Amino acid sequence: MLTRRVRGSWRGSALTQRLIRSGFAGSASVTIIVLALIMLFLLREGAGFLGTYRRELETYRRCGLEFCDLVDRPLAQQEDLAGSLRRALSSSLEPLIGQARARRDEALRLKREVDQLTQTQREVFEQAQALPAAQAAAALPEATKALSAALKAASAAVVIAPILSAKQATDLRLQLSTQIPGKEQPLALINQLQQEFLRVDKEAKARFEGLQEAIETLEEAPEDLRETLSELKELALAAKEQATLHHTLEEGRQKLLNAAQNARDPKEKAALLKEAEASHSEPPDESALQAQIAELREPLVLHIGAYSAKVDQLALHLPEAEIQLPEAMELLQKTAQALPRHAAAMRASVPELRQWKADAPVHLRSVLGAFFFGTQWLTNSSWQDFFGFLPLLSGSLIIALIAIAMATPLSVAAAIYCNQFASPREREWIKPVIEFIQAIPSVVLGFIGISLLGDLLKDLSQLPMLSWIPGFPIAERLNMFNAGCLLALMAIPTMFSLAEDALNNVPQAYIDASEALGATQLQTIFRVIVPAALSGMGAAVLLGLGRVIGETMVVLLVAGNRIAIPDFSDSVGVVFQPAHTLTGIIAQELGEVSRGSAHWQALFMVGIVLFAISLAVNAMARAMVRRFELPKS
Amino acid sequence: MVIATDIEPQEPPMIEVRDLDFAYGAKLALEDINLKVARHRVTALIGPSGCGKSTLLRCINRMNQRLPGAHIRRGSIRIEGHDIHDPRVSLTLLRQRVGMVFQKSNPFPKSIHDNVAFGLRIAGVSDPVVLDEAVERALRAAALWDELKDRLHQHAHSLSGGQQQRLCIARAVATRPAVLLMDEPCSALDPIATLKIEELLGQLAQEHTVVIVTHNMQQAVRVSHDTAFLHLGRLVEHAPTAQLFDNPQQALTEAYLRGTF
Ligand SMILES: Nc1ncnc2c1ncn2[C@@H]1O[C@H](COP(=O)(O)OP(=O)(O)O)[C@@H](O)[C@H]1O
Ligand SMILES: [Mg+2]
Repeated sequence: MLTRRVRGSWRGSALTQRLIRSGFAGSASVTIIVLALIMLFLLREGAGFLGTYRRELETYRRCGLEFCDLVDRPLAQQEDLAGSLRRALSSSLEPLIGQARARRDEALRLKREVDQLTQTQREVFEQAQALPAAQAAAALPEATKALSAALKAASAAVVIAPILSAKQATDLRLQLSTQIPGKEQPLALINQLQQEFLRVDKEAKARFEGLQEAIETLEEAPEDLRETLSELKELALAAKEQATLHHTLEEGRQKLLNAAQNARDPKEKAALLKEAEASHSEPPDESALQAQIAELREPLVLHIGAYSAKVDQLALHLPEAEIQLPEAMELLQKTAQALPRHAAAMRASVPELRQWKADAPVHLRSVLGAFFFGTQWLTNSSWQDFFGFLPLLSGSLIIALIAIAMATPLSVAAAIYCNQFASPREREWIKPVIEFIQAIPSVVLGFIGISLLGDLLKDLSQLPMLSWIPGFPIAERLNMFNAGCLLALMAIPTMFSLAEDALNNVPQAYIDASEALGATQLQTIFRVIVPAALSGMGAAVLLGLGRVIGETMVVLLVAGNRIAIPDFSDSVGVVFQPAHTLTGIIAQELGEVSRGSAHWQALFMVGIVLFAISLAVNAMARAMVRRFELPKS
Repeated sequence: MVIATDIEPQEPPMIEVRDLDFAYGAKLALEDINLKVARHRVTALIGPSGCGKSTLLRCINRMNQRLPGAHIRRGSIRIEGHDIHDPRVSLTLLRQRVGMVFQKSNPFPKSIHDNVAFGLRIAGVSDPVVLDEAVERALRAAALWDELKDRLHQHAHSLSGGQQQRLCIARAVATRPAVLLMDEPCSALDPIATLKIEELLGQLAQEHTVVIVTHNMQQAVRVSHDTAFLHLGRLVEHAPTAQLFDNPQQALTEAYLRGTF
């Protein structure tokens, strides 16, 4: 372990030595220069972002889109609330109407099936019918016979679920077997089942009249508000369109003017100047828009007041007495609690509306804030693009934490086993096998995540005995946990190798000292070797973290790519939600955006931050190793 | 060799090596060693490099057994009359009775206190009062207490080389071993640090039986009561130090001492 191979000293002429030396120095400097170029390139592309995004946010404000969002954002909750009331209603109805509906649906399904089974004969029959009368007379009887036989066979053959009684089943078979076009017998049973369902449905709904009324109230409550708001939104969008058009024209004009200035040939110069003149556009006048906003402001405030009052009223009068089912009850109670909060949020927008100014400047600080603390990453929107970093960062971080939390114990334990307990023979195959994981292409791992792990997780999560796990049963096959598992697998070889090195680097002298004091092997391992290797293992974990944060393919394929800050209300269960990541978003979107647009620049900003995170993680790992460096033995 | 020593009425010698042949694989490193070391004496092992001094020392606390292929071919080693290879002897207990200090100081990357307390902790002592007492006693025994009593929780690697070696001595004596084995403990130290450790040896002998390997004749003369001279894996001569240096019985010893080898 401690023996160093003594290399034979190599001597050559001074010239060869110099050449070899400069060869190595050259390779080192190429690497460093490339790194510097990469940084420069990233910075150059990303640097414009703040300016561009600031201009976009200024337009967003000047054209009144921001004003609309002040109301629109809190209002978005109304649909969720109505949705959960509707879910409470349908889950309450379900036990009452489920049977009747299932019977009707079964009968309809059987009719479809028989239709399908007899399709060929039906087509022949229809063709025969379409023939001129003389020929039809010859062909029709044949076709009718065939169809009738097929119908008989099919309706006898279909399997009828036991939800229909035996008598209903025989009736149905009989009725289905006589469906010759033109001479159909009425499908009495199906009609009867449909009537039955409608009756039951009506009865059931009658029992939940209060709830239905509440839903309607909530759905209708913001109608006036929405109307005024959409009027405003239209104005704002039109203004934004004009502003964008002006900006594009102006940009083109500036380019032409620049070209004209640089042109040598006076004729060419004149042509360019003329072209520039032609694309001259006046900056749009927004005073009319601002007057309209000012005019609509007070009506809007009035609508908000009326709407919030209705919501508050509704919260007090939710028909809790009608509900018996526990899950419906829970939904109803949650909504009852959320409604006053929603009303309060709506009211809170009033002072903001009143203070809002179209011409307030957008500070660089708030642009930075909108990027680094923005909660929305919204692109190609017909309303307004937002480049908020948090949804991506949270996805990346949660996935990385899951991966590290799983990979750390595994790789450290494997390293300790391999380094301290394994026999040389075992060591000979354990190490290559673990290191082989690195050779699996990440796209293949992505495959495994999609096809194998995702299904496995989903099936597992449906087991009733596992339902105590937060987040179970899971809704999405592709989620952060799935991606985290695969990334853990990818990080294990790196972390294992580095942890094993750290253990190997513990000087034999410590081990001697410990054994000479009477320590058993386990005591030596856990009281001397592992503590002495701790900093090296910490560095291993950090470098694993760096690898995991930078990994792209697996997260792109497996993490589910939902751009939203995960919902932490389910505590640890949050890991079973889908998310998007810093790396994934770049890989996914960079190919599709136009060069130099705000979106393009935003992606480069993400790249810069990613780069900075990786550098920081690496620097931390190095500092950790240096801080606790063991004396060379 | 007569097997009479066991039934001798007086107490057995502290260390007794009988007819020992020791081999690293096929290579015989010690041959026919017979050595008795009495209680509370300092015995110096001298001899040319590679003659087997360290090997002999490491046989006494069975440190060699970890090496693959290293084994005892013949003979036995007894501590206070007990065969150390008796299957009933636990390695942990043996090493608590036979402490060791290495050529290069090797304190653990822990605090001074934790270094000294290590031997007791692994023996299952966890009472902080007992540990503190033992640490103080061991540090006093290594003449470190006055220097370090206010910085017990500092990292051991912040000490000077000489202090680190004395810390290792403190660590070794903390479990109150009967025997203290030292393999060239001063070879990496400067003269002043060496002097301090030499001074220490006299005191240590009051509580421990010390076997010290040294390649420095003057050191052997200064610190030891007895000296054993090894050559090519054989024990050539073992006598009180003054006698061995002034009046060697063997021609080989004389040649070695005079440097006419
Ligand atoms: N681990 C080992 N494996 C094989 N041979 C060894 C080992 N350690 C020592 N030896 C050999 O045993 C002989 C005695 O070594 P050692 O006891 O270290 O001598 P000394 O301490 O007197 O210089 C030497 O010839 C040496 O090469
Ligand atoms: Mg030696």
